[in-house]
Amino acid sequence: MALPARAISFKPYNLAVTTRTLPSGVPIAPGISLYAKGYGVDHGHGHGHGAARSDVPPSWTSGVRLGGSNFESKTPLLTIPPFLMGESSCTAPVSRSVHTSSQVPAPSPSPYAVPDWSHYKTENPSMNRAFSYFMVGSMGLLGASAAKATITDFLATMAASADVLALAKVEVSMSAIPLAKNVIIKWRGKPVFVRHRTEDEIKEARSVNIKTLRDPQTDEDRVKRPEWLVMLGVCTHLGCVPIGESGDYGGWFCPCHGSHYDISGRARKGPAPLNLEVPPYDFNDAEEKIIIG
Amino acid sequence: MALTDTLYNALFRRNSIFVSSIFVGAFGFGLAFDTATNRFWDNWNKGKQWKDIRDKYVTPAGADEE
Repeated sequence: MALPARAISFKPYNLAVTTRTLPSGVPIAPGISLYAKGYGVDHGHGHGHGAARSDVPPSWTSGVRLGGSNFESKTPLLTIPPFLMGESSCTAPVSRSVHTSSQVPAPSPSPYAVPDWSHYKTENPSMNRAFSYFMVGSMGLLGASAAKATITDFLATMAASADVLALAKVEVSMSAIPLAKNVIIKWRGKPVFVRHRTEDEIKEARSVNIKTLRDPQTDEDRVKRPEWLVMLGVCTHLGCVPIGESGDYGGWFCPCHGSHYDISGRARKGPAPLNLEVPPYDFNDAEEKIIIG
Repeated sequence: MALTDTLYNALFRRNSIFVSSIFVGAFGFGLAFDTATNRFWDNWNKGKQWKDIRDKYVTPAGADEE
Protein backbone atom coordinates (compact mmCIF):
# COMPACT_ATOMS: atom_id res chain seq x y z
CA MET A 1 0.00 0.00 0.00
CA ALA A 2 1.45 3.29 -1.06
CA LEU A 3 1.19 5.90 1.59
CA PRO A 4 1.48 9.50 0.50
CA ALA A 5 4.74 11.16 1.15
CA ARG A 6 3.15 13.70 3.47
CA ALA A 7 3.22 12.88 7.11
CA ILE A 8 -0.41 12.21 7.89
CA SER A 9 -1.49 10.24 10.88
CA PHE A 10 -4.25 7.88 9.93
CA LYS A 11 -6.70 6.91 12.56
CA PRO A 12 -9.61 4.59 12.09
CA TYR A 13 -13.00 6.18 12.82
CA ASN A 14 -16.40 4.63 13.15
CA LEU A 15 -18.49 7.36 11.62
CA ALA A 16 -21.48 7.65 9.44
CA VAL A 17 -20.18 7.36 5.98
CA THR A 18 -21.62 10.59 4.67
CA THR A 19 -21.19 13.37 7.14
CA ARG A 20 -21.74 16.19 4.71
CA THR A 21 -22.40 16.82 1.11
CA LEU A 22 -20.67 19.16 -1.21
CA PRO A 23 -22.87 21.57 -3.20
CA SER A 24 -22.37 19.39 -6.19
CA GLY A 25 -24.11 16.55 -4.40
CA VAL A 26 -20.97 14.60 -3.74
CA PRO A 27 -20.95 13.18 -0.23
CA ILE A 28 -17.75 13.54 1.71
CA ALA A 29 -16.64 11.74 4.81
CA PRO A 30 -13.73 13.46 6.51
CA GLY A 31 -11.15 11.36 8.17
CA ILE A 32 -11.87 8.11 6.44
CA SER A 33 -9.04 6.56 4.64
CA LEU A 34 -10.03 5.24 1.32
CA TYR A 35 -6.61 3.92 0.65
CA ALA A 36 -7.67 0.53 1.81
CA LYS A 37 -8.38 -0.63 -1.65
CA GLY A 38 -10.45 -3.56 -2.53
CA TYR A 39 -9.37 -6.83 -3.82
CA GLY A 40 -7.86 -7.13 -7.22
CA VAL A 41 -6.29 -3.75 -7.21
CA ASP A 42 -3.04 -3.53 -8.93
CA HIS A 43 -0.56 -2.43 -6.33
CA GLY A 44 1.61 -0.99 -8.99
CA HIS A 45 4.64 -3.00 -8.16
CA GLY A 46 4.40 -6.11 -10.20
CA HIS A 47 2.69 -8.73 -8.07
CA GLY A 48 -0.95 -9.14 -7.31
CA HIS A 49 -3.76 -10.21 -9.51
CA GLY A 50 -2.55 -8.81 -12.73
CA ALA A 51 -4.69 -6.66 -14.97
CA ALA A 52 -7.36 -4.29 -13.71
CA ARG A 53 -10.69 -5.91 -13.14
CA SER A 54 -13.86 -4.59 -14.58
CA ASP A 55 -15.73 -4.49 -11.24
CA VAL A 56 -13.23 -2.26 -9.44
CA PRO A 57 -13.92 1.47 -9.44
CA PRO A 58 -11.30 3.51 -11.21
CA SER A 59 -8.88 5.30 -8.95
CA TRP A 60 -10.25 8.80 -9.76
CA THR A 61 -13.54 8.01 -8.14
CA SER A 62 -12.10 8.18 -4.68
CA GLY A 63 -9.27 9.97 -3.12
CA VAL A 64 -8.01 11.83 -0.16
CA ARG A 65 -6.76 15.33 -0.07
CA LEU A 66 -5.62 17.76 2.55
CA GLY A 67 -7.84 20.80 2.19
CA GLY A 68 -6.90 23.48 4.67
CA SER A 69 -7.06 21.90 8.09
CA ASN A 70 -9.53 19.25 6.97
CA PHE A 71 -8.53 15.89 5.75
CA GLU A 72 -11.13 15.16 3.15
CA SER A 73 -11.88 12.20 1.11
CA LYS A 74 -14.40 12.03 -1.65
CA THR A 75 -16.41 9.11 -2.75
CA PRO A 76 -18.97 9.74 -5.42
CA LEU A 77 -19.58 6.07 -5.73
CA LEU A 78 -21.25 3.84 -3.30
CA THR A 79 -19.26 2.88 -0.28
CA ILE A 80 -20.69 -0.55 0.11
CA PRO A 81 -18.61 -2.99 -1.86
CA PRO A 82 -20.20 -3.85 -5.14
CA PHE A 83 -20.37 -7.52 -4.49
CA LEU A 84 -22.71 -6.87 -1.56
CA MET A 85 -25.05 -4.97 -3.83
CA GLY A 86 -25.50 -7.92 -6.11
CA GLU A 87 -24.77 -5.91 -9.16
CA SER A 88 -22.49 -7.18 -11.75
CA SER A 89 -21.35 -3.96 -13.36
CA CYS A 90 -20.35 -1.35 -10.82
CA THR A 91 -18.15 0.97 -12.73
CA ALA A 92 -21.20 2.94 -13.79
CA PRO A 93 -22.48 5.27 -11.05
CA VAL A 94 -25.38 3.93 -9.11
CA SER A 95 -27.68 5.59 -6.66
CA ARG A 96 -26.28 6.20 -3.23
CA SER A 97 -27.46 3.69 -0.78
CA VAL A 98 -26.23 5.61 2.25
CA HIS A 99 -27.44 9.17 2.39
CA THR A 100 -28.64 11.80 4.82
CA SER A 101 -31.29 13.54 2.79
CA SER A 102 -34.90 12.70 3.43
CA GLN A 103 -35.63 12.07 -0.18
CA VAL A 104 -33.56 9.86 -2.36
CA PRO A 105 -32.53 11.80 -5.41
CA ALA A 106 -33.15 10.13 -8.68
CA PRO A 107 -29.98 8.61 -10.10
CA SER A 108 -28.32 11.15 -12.29
CA PRO A 109 -27.12 10.00 -15.64
CA SER A 110 -23.59 11.03 -14.93
CA PRO A 111 -21.58 11.79 -11.80
CA TYR A 112 -20.82 15.19 -13.26
CA ALA A 113 -24.38 16.16 -14.04
CA VAL A 114 -26.16 18.63 -11.81
CA PRO A 115 -28.49 16.63 -9.57
CA ASP A 116 -32.19 16.97 -10.05
CA TRP A 117 -33.49 19.24 -7.33
CA SER A 118 -36.95 19.67 -8.78
CA HIS A 119 -38.57 17.78 -5.93
CA TYR A 120 -37.42 20.58 -3.60
CA LYS A 121 -39.35 23.11 -5.60
CA THR A 122 -42.68 24.20 -4.17
CA GLU A 123 -45.87 23.28 -5.90
CA ASN A 124 -47.89 26.07 -4.28
CA PRO A 125 -46.15 29.46 -4.34
CA SER A 126 -49.23 31.44 -3.29
CA MET A 127 -49.54 29.35 -0.15
CA ASN A 128 -45.91 30.05 0.71
CA ARG A 129 -46.37 33.75 0.03
CA ALA A 130 -49.48 33.98 2.19
CA PHE A 131 -47.78 31.98 4.94
CA SER A 132 -44.73 34.25 4.96
CA TYR A 133 -46.82 37.41 5.16
CA PHE A 134 -49.03 35.80 7.78
CA MET A 135 -46.07 35.01 9.99
CA VAL A 136 -44.67 38.53 9.56
CA GLY A 137 -48.07 39.99 10.40
CA SER A 138 -48.53 37.75 13.43
CA MET A 139 -45.16 38.78 14.84
CA GLY A 140 -46.08 42.41 14.24
CA LEU A 141 -49.40 41.92 15.97
CA LEU A 142 -47.83 40.30 19.02
CA GLY A 143 -45.11 42.92 19.14
CA ALA A 144 -47.58 45.78 18.86
CA SER A 145 -49.78 44.44 21.64
CA ALA A 146 -46.74 43.77 23.83
CA ALA A 147 -45.53 47.33 23.29
CA LYS A 148 -48.96 48.71 24.05
CA ALA A 149 -49.23 46.63 27.24
CA THR A 150 -45.76 47.76 28.34
CA ILE A 151 -46.55 51.43 27.82
CA THR A 152 -49.97 51.29 29.46
CA ASP A 153 -48.59 49.39 32.46
CA PHE A 154 -45.79 51.89 32.79
CA LEU A 155 -48.22 54.80 32.64
CA ALA A 156 -50.49 53.07 35.14
CA THR A 157 -47.67 53.16 37.69
CA MET A 158 -47.88 56.95 37.58
CA ALA A 159 -51.59 57.02 38.31
CA ALA A 160 -52.94 57.64 41.79
CA SER A 161 -53.28 54.53 43.88
CA ALA A 162 -56.60 53.30 45.20
CA ASP A 163 -56.11 54.60 48.77
CA VAL A 164 -55.31 58.08 47.47
CA LEU A 165 -58.35 58.00 45.22
CA ALA A 166 -60.49 56.86 48.12
CA LEU A 167 -59.36 59.86 50.18
CA ALA A 168 -59.85 62.24 47.28
CA LYS A 169 -63.63 62.39 47.64
CA VAL A 170 -65.71 63.57 50.56
CA GLU A 171 -69.44 63.19 50.92
CA VAL A 172 -71.62 65.61 52.90
CA SER A 173 -75.18 64.79 53.75
CA MET A 174 -77.42 67.67 52.62
CA SER A 175 -80.16 66.85 55.09
CA ALA A 176 -77.73 67.34 57.99
CA ILE A 177 -77.21 71.04 57.18
CA PRO A 178 -80.13 73.24 58.18
CA LEU A 179 -80.98 76.46 56.40
CA ALA A 180 -78.60 79.37 57.00
CA LYS A 181 -75.92 77.20 58.56
CA ASN A 182 -72.28 76.67 57.75
CA VAL A 183 -70.46 73.36 57.79
CA ILE A 184 -66.69 73.05 57.64
CA ILE A 185 -65.32 69.72 56.49
CA LYS A 186 -61.84 68.54 55.69
CA TRP A 187 -61.08 67.63 52.12
CA ARG A 188 -57.55 66.78 50.96
CA GLY A 189 -56.09 68.45 54.02
CA LYS A 190 -57.97 71.70 53.48
CA PRO A 191 -61.18 73.05 55.01
CA VAL A 192 -64.24 73.29 52.81
CA PHE A 193 -67.14 75.59 53.61
CA VAL A 194 -70.61 74.36 52.77
CA ARG A 195 -73.40 76.87 53.38
CA HIS A 196 -77.09 76.26 53.05
CA ARG A 197 -78.17 79.73 51.91
CA THR A 198 -81.52 81.34 52.45
CA GLU A 199 -83.55 83.07 49.76
CA ASP A 200 -82.54 86.46 51.09
CA GLU A 201 -78.87 85.56 50.96
CA ILE A 202 -79.21 84.35 47.39
CA LYS A 203 -81.01 87.56 46.44
CA GLU A 204 -78.33 89.60 48.14
CA ALA A 205 -75.51 87.72 46.41
CA ARG A 206 -77.14 88.21 43.02
CA SER A 207 -77.88 91.88 43.40
CA VAL A 208 -74.23 92.89 43.59
CA ASN A 209 -72.90 94.79 40.62
CA ILE A 210 -69.90 92.68 39.71
CA LYS A 211 -68.17 95.58 37.94
CA THR A 212 -67.36 96.98 41.35
CA LEU A 213 -65.67 93.79 42.49
CA ARG A 214 -61.96 93.18 42.71
CA ASP A 215 -62.36 89.69 41.14
CA PRO A 216 -65.52 90.04 39.04
CA GLN A 217 -67.57 86.85 39.14
CA THR A 218 -71.33 86.38 39.16
CA ASP A 219 -72.98 84.29 41.83
CA GLU A 220 -74.34 81.97 39.11
CA ASP A 221 -70.77 81.12 38.11
CA ARG A 222 -69.83 80.19 41.65
CA VAL A 223 -72.67 77.83 42.57
CA LYS A 224 -74.33 74.91 40.88
CA ARG A 225 -77.47 75.28 42.95
CA PRO A 226 -78.15 78.70 44.51
CA GLU A 227 -79.04 77.29 47.93
CA TRP A 228 -75.77 75.41 48.26
CA LEU A 229 -72.50 77.32 48.36
CA VAL A 230 -69.41 75.11 48.36
CA MET A 231 -65.93 76.62 48.45
CA LEU A 232 -62.45 76.12 49.85
CA GLY A 233 -62.01 77.74 53.24
CA VAL A 234 -58.57 79.13 52.49
CA CYS A 235 -58.08 82.88 52.37
CA THR A 236 -56.66 83.84 48.99
CA HIS A 237 -54.36 86.33 50.65
CA LEU A 238 -52.03 84.20 52.76
CA GLY A 239 -53.94 81.01 53.41
CA CYS A 240 -55.65 81.53 56.76
CA VAL A 241 -59.07 80.04 57.42
CA PRO A 242 -61.75 82.77 57.39
CA ILE A 243 -64.43 82.90 60.05
CA GLY A 244 -67.99 82.36 58.91
CA GLU A 245 -71.04 84.62 59.38
CA SER A 246 -68.94 87.64 60.11
CA GLY A 247 -67.38 90.56 58.34
CA ASP A 248 -68.86 93.65 56.79
CA TYR A 249 -70.68 91.79 54.02
CA GLY A 250 -72.41 89.04 56.00
CA GLY A 251 -70.12 86.38 54.68
CA TRP A 252 -66.67 85.45 55.86
CA PHE A 253 -63.93 87.40 57.56
CA CYS A 254 -60.28 86.50 57.69
CA PRO A 255 -58.81 87.41 61.09
CA CYS A 256 -55.20 87.39 59.92
CA HIS A 257 -55.19 90.48 57.75
CA GLY A 258 -58.81 91.55 57.68
CA SER A 259 -60.15 90.37 54.35
CA HIS A 260 -63.93 90.44 53.97
CA TYR A 261 -65.87 88.02 51.78
CA ASP A 262 -69.54 88.32 50.91
CA ILE A 263 -72.24 85.66 51.04
CA SER A 264 -71.03 84.30 47.70
CA GLY A 265 -67.43 84.02 48.91
CA ARG A 266 -66.20 86.94 46.79
CA ALA A 267 -63.42 89.19 48.07
CA ARG A 268 -64.90 92.60 48.92
CA LYS A 269 -62.49 94.29 51.28
CA GLY A 270 -58.98 93.82 52.61
CA PRO A 271 -55.86 92.43 51.01
CA ALA A 272 -57.38 89.27 49.48
CA PRO A 273 -56.83 89.46 45.70
CA LEU A 274 -59.23 86.73 44.61
CA ASN A 275 -62.55 85.18 45.54
CA LEU A 276 -62.60 82.02 47.61
CA GLU A 277 -61.88 79.05 45.38
CA VAL A 278 -64.69 76.68 44.37
CA PRO A 279 -63.68 72.99 44.35
CA PRO A 280 -65.19 70.49 41.93
CA TYR A 281 -68.31 69.01 43.48
CA ASP A 282 -71.49 67.24 42.53
CA PHE A 283 -74.91 66.45 43.91
CA ASN A 284 -76.23 62.98 44.55
CA ASP A 285 -79.97 63.48 44.83
CA ALA A 286 -80.78 59.83 45.46
CA GLU A 287 -78.81 59.82 48.72
CA GLU A 288 -79.12 63.60 49.33
CA LYS A 289 -75.39 64.12 49.34
CA ILE A 290 -72.87 66.60 48.07
CA ILE A 291 -69.79 64.83 46.75
CA ILE A 292 -66.71 67.03 46.83
CA GLY A 293 -63.82 65.98 44.64
CA MET B 1 -55.09 28.11 -3.18
CA ALA B 2 -58.03 30.40 -3.61
CA LEU B 3 -58.09 31.18 0.09
CA THR B 4 -54.42 32.12 0.21
CA ASP B 5 -54.78 34.33 -2.85
CA THR B 6 -57.84 35.98 -1.35
CA LEU B 7 -55.94 36.59 1.88
CA TYR B 8 -52.99 38.05 0.01
CA ASN B 9 -55.13 40.35 -2.09
CA ALA B 10 -57.26 41.45 0.86
CA LEU B 11 -54.59 42.11 3.49
CA PHE B 12 -51.01 41.77 2.35
CA ARG B 13 -50.89 43.43 -1.03
CA ARG B 14 -50.95 47.04 0.24
CA ASN B 15 -48.62 47.85 3.09
CA SER B 16 -50.99 50.48 4.46
CA ILE B 17 -53.74 47.90 4.79
CA PHE B 18 -51.28 45.36 6.14
CA VAL B 19 -49.96 47.64 8.89
CA SER B 20 -53.36 49.05 9.82
CA SER B 21 -54.81 45.55 10.05
CA ILE B 22 -51.89 44.63 12.31
CA PHE B 23 -52.73 47.53 14.64
CA VAL B 24 -56.44 46.78 14.62
CA GLY B 25 -55.64 43.14 15.23
CA ALA B 26 -53.30 44.06 18.09
CA PHE B 27 -56.10 46.07 19.70
CA GLY B 28 -58.54 43.18 19.37
CA PHE B 29 -55.94 40.69 20.49
CA GLY B 30 -55.13 42.76 23.59
CA LEU B 31 -58.80 42.94 24.53
CA ALA B 32 -59.33 39.24 23.98
CA PHE B 33 -56.14 38.30 25.80
CA ASP B 34 -56.97 40.45 28.84
CA THR B 35 -60.52 39.13 28.98
CA ALA B 36 -59.39 35.54 28.68
CA THR B 37 -56.62 35.83 31.30
CA ASN B 38 -58.90 37.69 33.71
CA ARG B 39 -61.57 35.08 33.33
CA PHE B 40 -59.04 32.35 33.91
CA TRP B 41 -57.70 34.16 36.99
CA ASP B 42 -61.17 34.63 38.48
CA ASN B 43 -62.01 31.04 37.74
CA TRP B 44 -58.77 29.76 39.23
CA ASN B 45 -59.19 31.85 42.41
CA LYS B 46 -62.88 31.29 42.79
CA GLY B 47 -64.01 31.85 46.35
CA LYS B 48 -60.81 33.61 47.42
CA GLN B 49 -61.33 37.12 46.15
CA TRP B 50 -63.11 39.91 47.94
CA LYS B 51 -65.83 40.14 45.35
CA ASP B 52 -66.64 36.49 45.97
CA ILE B 53 -66.75 36.66 49.77
CA ARG B 54 -68.13 40.19 50.06
CA ASP B 55 -71.64 38.93 50.81
CA LYS B 56 -70.44 37.19 53.95
CA TYR B 57 -69.12 40.35 55.55
CA VAL B 58 -71.18 43.22 54.19
CA THR B 59 -74.71 42.96 55.51
CA PRO B 60 -77.50 45.03 53.99
CA ALA B 61 -78.04 46.71 57.37
CA GLY B 62 -74.43 47.89 57.35
CA ALA B 63 -75.10 50.31 54.53
CA ASP B 64 -74.19 53.22 56.81
CA GLU B 65 -70.60 52.09 57.00
CA GLU B 66 -70.20 52.57 53.31
